[in-house]
Amino acid sequence: MARSKTHRLRKLLVVVGVALAALVVLAAVWTVYLDRVVTRDFQGRLWSVPARVYAEPLDLYAGARVTADELEEELRRLHYRSGDPAAGAGVYRRHGGDFDLHARRVRFVDELREPEIVSIHAGGDSIIGLRHADGTELPVFRLDPLLVGNVFPVHGEDRIVLSPDDVPPLLRLGVKAVEDRRFDEHHGVDPYGILRALWADLRAGRVIQGGSTLTQQLVKNYFLSDEQTIGRKATEAVMALRLEAHFSKNDILVAYLNEVYLGQDGPRAIHGFGLGSEYFFAKPLAELDVGEVALLIGLVKGPSYYDPRKHADRARARRNVVLQELADARLIDAAAAKRAAAEPLGLRPPGGSYVPAYLDLVRRHLKRDYAEADLAAAGLTVYTTLNPRAQAAAEQSLTRHLSRLDAASRVRDAHLEGAIIVADPNSGDVVAVVGGRAVGAEGFNRALDARRPIGSLVKPAVYLAALETGRYNAATMLDDAPITLKLSDGSTWSPQNYTHEIYGRVPMARALAESMNLATVRLGLDVGLPRVADTLVSLGLETRPTLNPSLLLGTVEMTPLEVVQVYTTLANGGFRARLRAVQAVLDEQGRPLKSFKVQVEAAAAPAAVYQLDRMLTLVTARGTGRGASARLPPGTIVAGKTGTSSDTRDSWFAGFTGTYLAVVWVGYDDNRSTGLTGAAGALPVWADVIASVKSASYQPVPPELIEDRWIGFGDGLETTAGCSADAVAVAVPTGTPLPGKPGCASSPPNSLTDKIKSWFKSTIH
Amino acid sequence: MVQVDHSLKRLAAGFTAAALLSACSLLAPHTPSSQPPTPQTSSPQPPGSPAPLPSLPPAPAPQVPPPARENHLSAATRSLVTQARTQVAHGDLPAASSTLDRALRIEPNNPLLWIELGRLRLAESDAHQAEGCGRKALALASGDRIAQAQAGRLLADALRGQGRNQEARQVESQPFMNSSP
Repeated sequence: MARSKTHRLRKLLVVVGVALAALVVLAAVWTVYLDRVVTRDFQGRLWSVPARVYAEPLDLYAGARVTADELEEELRRLHYRSGDPAAGAGVYRRHGGDFDLHARRVRFVDELREPEIVSIHAGGDSIIGLRHADGTELPVFRLDPLLVGNVFPVHGEDRIVLSPDDVPPLLRLGVKAVEDRRFDEHHGVDPYGILRALWADLRAGRVIQGGSTLTQQLVKNYFLSDEQTIGRKATEAVMALRLEAHFSKNDILVAYLNEVYLGQDGPRAIHGFGLGSEYFFAKPLAELDVGEVALLIGLVKGPSYYDPRKHADRARARRNVVLQELADARLIDAAAAKRAAAEPLGLRPPGGSYVPAYLDLVRRHLKRDYAEADLAAAGLTVYTTLNPRAQAAAEQSLTRHLSRLDAASRVRDAHLEGAIIVADPNSGDVVAVVGGRAVGAEGFNRALDARRPIGSLVKPAVYLAALETGRYNAATMLDDAPITLKLSDGSTWSPQNYTHEIYGRVPMARALAESMNLATVRLGLDVGLPRVADTLVSLGLETRPTLNPSLLLGTVEMTPLEVVQVYTTLANGGFRARLRAVQAVLDEQGRPLKSFKVQVEAAAAPAAVYQLDRMLTLVTARGTGRGASARLPPGTIVAGKTGTSSDTRDSWFAGFTGTYLAVVWVGYDDNRSTGLTGAAGALPVWADVIASVKSASYQPVPPELIEDRWIGFGDGLETTAGCSADAVAVAVPTGTPLPGKPGCASSPPNSLTDKIKSWFKSTIH
Repeated sequence: MVQVDHSLKRLAAGFTAAALLSACSLLAPHTPSSQPPTPQTSSPQPPGSPAPLPSLPPAPAPQVPPPARENHLSAATRSLVTQARTQVAHGDLPAASSTLDRALRIEPNNPLLWIELGRLRLAESDAHQAEGCGRKALALASGDRIAQAQAGRLLADALRGQGRNQEARQVESQPFMNSSP
């Protein structure tokens, strides 16, 4: 009996021993595993610094169209503050149109500029002159480029990652003082801290202190879910200990400052103090004052509970508690804490600088133009061609007009959508991208991805193909008469004009200006479908469209971005400038990455393009686009084309001035009919964008052997400005014989300016 | 060693570029010496219109040469061209390229800037891009004999750089090629 008892006991001991041994082994394996996870992932994330993305800096020079108010607005956007410029960089002083500016040290794509004081004199509508501090003339000066985002070129997350040098001492010490006082002493887990927290909780009768170290918080954010279990707590503790074993306190603190969650901007989580500073105060971290740093530190405890935009009182109280703690830890003096506690929160107005649709294009162009291995490097700087003023104008114009059109529409179960791209046709620089009416949000980027039939936007390609044959000119009479075609599949096609009218014999300039379908189909068939398709390809369309007669009326589908590429060539005198959102990328040492560079290529005969473009100015002066003039400064000459797809599913306008090209699309995501022509939907949006970016008139340099002649808009006969009420100026090859209007002596206009003046007079009457 | 080779190469490229660039003197005023210098107007031109538009003659007869135009650099673009040349002289061609991009944003229709950019492309051994710049410059130089001749020389050099010697000779036989700055 006793023997068996001993035996059983021994057996039990063995079992327990084996179980214990197994547990120890398991724990060891588990620890090794966690150690691996910690080292591998932390190492990877610590050094994955995203690329900083900058907008195009604003160049100031005599004649630059920037007013004093706009200059001040730009300075504020760049976080310059009003004060005494002698006090330091980042400060300006304004007296009327005179500015003294202490510019910051800036790394531009082509040079490093040291801080410098400059004087800028702004007049009523443009910059008059600039001077150095010593009074000598300064021919050209650029402001800092605006930081618009941070992308991981490969996976694309928005974050401002601080390097150890970027962390202000007050933040470093303050976070430790408030969140983890024994951070420098413990090894990842702080038993004393846990006891203290327990004691505090016991006395209060509820959980008021967490007792987690910064390392534990970081581990939790990096590797673990949010559940509160013993198992998770144990994992967290082991990982925190392993992290401390492998990495320096400084690395861990900086990683924490970059990782901690501080708030929510719609769908975008605000992680890290760098982005937090930008999001709440629109300032770089280095420029925050004591109260602002205290508020950010305070948010760590409860980002949504203390959200300063939603709960200003709680946020204020929390900030002041932190200020007191900073004073108690002797990081600031008591008087400073008291002063800061009396200050307002100083939040920047919400909205504005976040441009996800543009950054989307930046990411795609990075992949297109740079080697993936180069992009994986840390600390890249991306210089884009974004113009923040044009971007803001385009966003406002689209949202305003879509709301207006929605209110006027009978459709109640859907909202109109839209997209805008603005580009500089001379360089191919894309300066603004709006991917939909929810401008600050990520999501379907219609500007890049909505592929829609372009309708009459295709017509300029048909007319250009005709002009290039040399058999046509602006006064050539076309036949706008019904036509029925047998298609290759055996069916028949009988296109109609949008108005369902038939116009008979019309000059080419009018057929294009009034977007006549029948005349265009007849012209296109005469020129030949292959030639039209070739023209589209040489203008910049990447895939050759199918040779179907309906191509002539724009059944071909394109994204707004593709339309921009094609129209850029029209706006650039027949030279194709490849679109780009990225100017250059510098590595961490400031050296440019090697890029695939394409600039300008001759794509279409400049003389033919000039003749076409002059006809496109008649679209906005006389034709379907004439609604634009009411929204533009008087006398502005613009060229463009309306587009409407069948059943008014898509409303387009593509047009350009001397400085900008913009393409606007308006429609429903589900492809239903909008009831809007290009003139009713997209055109007003386009005109407002063009008006607010201050475009110079479209006045191309006339090619040699091309001259201006007056013709009757209705009959195409050569005339004079005074002789026919509907006289319009067109460009034709020099010496082209034109039939004259009886009784009107033909003489070319004196000068282009005179001609434009009288032409405008004639369009008004 | 690799480093040395690299910087030597850059230096050589820089010298070549400097030599090429100095061949066409964009920075020198284009006023013929027989005429008094044209006064610099104080009112600046808006961006996008580098030169006043020409007056069209009432009835252009075939033999009469087209109206004279002269393209100039503004103070701003002149200083940027100077800066670009300094960058080229230091062998920093990418920076020079960015500086000229900046000048072109200020005066996109100035053929002199396109000529400058085309010369830079040649220095970068990119004759294909230089050709595009040359053609663009030639189109913009319409009516300006001096700019046309410079654009024509650029275009001919760019074509030769691609082995298209016959096309280059064709460009050089154009009447405007006889004008000299």
